[in-house]
Amino acid sequence: MSNVALSGISKWFPCKLDAPLHVLSDIGFEAQDGRILAIIGASGCGKSTLLNIIAGLTPADQGHVAIGGVPAGGDAVVPLSVMFQEDRLLPWRSAARNVGFGLEAAPITVTEKTRRIRDALDMVGLSDFAEAFPHELSGGMRSRVALARSLATRPEVLLMDEPFSKLDPGTRTQIHGEVLRIAAAHAVTVIFVTHDVEEAVVLADRIVVLQPRPGTIREVVEIDLPRPRDVLTLKVTEAVRSLRALL
Amino acid sequence: MTRTNHTSAMHVPDPQRRAIQARRTASVAALKQSIFNRVMLAALVVVLWYLASRNVPAFVLPSPERVAATWIRLVSLPSFWEDLTVTLSRVLAGFALAAVVGSVLGLIMGFDRRIGDFLEPVVIVINTVSSVIWAIFALIWFGLSEGTTIFVVFMTSMPLILTNVWKGTQQVDPGLVELARTFRMSRSKILLKIYLPTIMPEFFSGARLAFGFGARVVLIAETLGSTSGIGYRLRQAADLVQTDQVFAWTITLVALMLTVEFAVLKPIEARLFVWRRLAAP
Ligand SMILES: Nc1ncnc2c1ncn2[C@@H]1O[C@H](COP(=O)(O)OP(=O)(O)O)[C@@H](O)[C@H]1O
Ligand SMILES: [Mg+2]
Repeated sequence: MSNVALSGISKWFPCKLDAPLHVLSDIGFEAQDGRILAIIGASGCGKSTLLNIIAGLTPADQGHVAIGGVPAGGDAVVPLSVMFQEDRLLPWRSAARNVGFGLEAAPITVTEKTRRIRDALDMVGLSDFAEAFPHELSGGMRSRVALARSLATRPEVLLMDEPFSKLDPGTRTQIHGEVLRIAAAHAVTVIFVTHDVEEAVVLADRIVVLQPRPGTIREVVEIDLPRPRDVLTLKVTEAVRSLRALL
Repeated sequence: MTRTNHTSAMHVPDPQRRAIQARRTASVAALKQSIFNRVMLAALVVVLWYLASRNVPAFVLPSPERVAATWIRLVSLPSFWEDLTVTLSRVLAGFALAAVVGSVLGLIMGFDRRIGDFLEPVVIVINTVSSVIWAIFALIWFGLSEGTTIFVVFMTSMPLILTNVWKGTQQVDPGLVELARTFRMSRSKILLKIYLPTIMPEFFSGARLAFGFGARVVLIAETLGSTSGIGYRLRQAADLVQTDQVFAWTITLVALMLTVEFAVLKPIEARLFVWRRLAAP
């Protein structure tokens, strides 16, 4: 069980001169176990803030986050990984050692660590580049290293904040395929933020549409289409069009 | 959760791997070229020195062969090794103290902005004080003792290391710290795995600068406030107008510093900062 349930989440950011900025208001939804949920909305409507709250990086002012039925922030923690918009690779580490970074927080044997790193690099197709440094890799490869790093800790929940928005469309589609395959194979609950409606429809089972000032839920849309989803098929374009109308 | 088969790996182009190899080979070729240039330059200096020394008295500019003879005699004396050891241990003691104190203070000042802002003027003031002034203070406070020379080395090199480490902490990427927090990494691990590698290049350039300054000011301290060491010998040689002695010591010191640079610092740096060297376009 590693569903993610939010209820009554509100957030204000203090302002020096003005009244506090109301960023999120009464956000509640559920990301089902092993499914993919997308959060879409205009830039500045609080998507990143919401994801950071789920990740435990930013405290909410009101409301609760429960992961796997347990209130977040407690002792019984569900393994969770976050992918940011930037790859955030450590420039002084090789790809393999970057992938191992998340494993160093808790005690782990060397053999187990090596195995996890190898598996994760395998999964993203970068086994031959284990010893390469980040600056020697292309943008797409760096994104894959970041993805491998997120997967090496074997998360039950994977949070992604516009992680592939800087990649060219071809690479992006390729990585989408990878994410879908890995998430399905390992039953990872994925929550990702995007401003790209097409990306949301292709990947997600459920889409939360936010509207700004303050960020509230406009609508929660279920996408019940068979995979793989081709952006050119009628059903997908229809879903995209109706979602665009909501934004 | 189970990990099963991971087939259908993504395709990665092979030319990219070859490009990485090519860049590494190119940097080796550049290194060879630069060593050749250095050797040529040294030969040129010796030739010019030889020509110049033929037209002036030996006490102004002794010839290379005369300095070589003096140097061989000098090295064969037991006192040479004693003086060298004494001076080197003073430099190392002052430098080691400076490295520890400078790094700790620099890290603290970087961690806590308020402490950094508060102490900044002190660092600036210490940096403006001449080494000779430190030597004179040291003489007043410590007299003709080991403390004097070590103090001077310390006061000269500590601010250099501190300033560099402090600058280094300001380059810590908050995004990486945030990433570490998502993996629930402890504060001490964040310090070890993110702060330390980030400040390393800065620490290193500070330490190199500090060691070079330390090795030079120790001579000043020794000429003023010591009865042993290379600085003391240099003053003796100057009093007796033994210019060839001064030259012999100078060459010894230069050789020593070059050895430290190329046998110790450069290899360590190359190992530590492969990623940096290669990141440069
Ligand atoms: N740490 C912060 N302090 C103050 N305001 C912030 C902070 N983080 C974000 N904001 C503000 O909150 C709003 C929502 O930001 P964000 O969650 O990044 O939006 P999105 O990811 O949807 O573009 C923006 O107006 C932004 O300026
Ligand atoms: Mg954002």
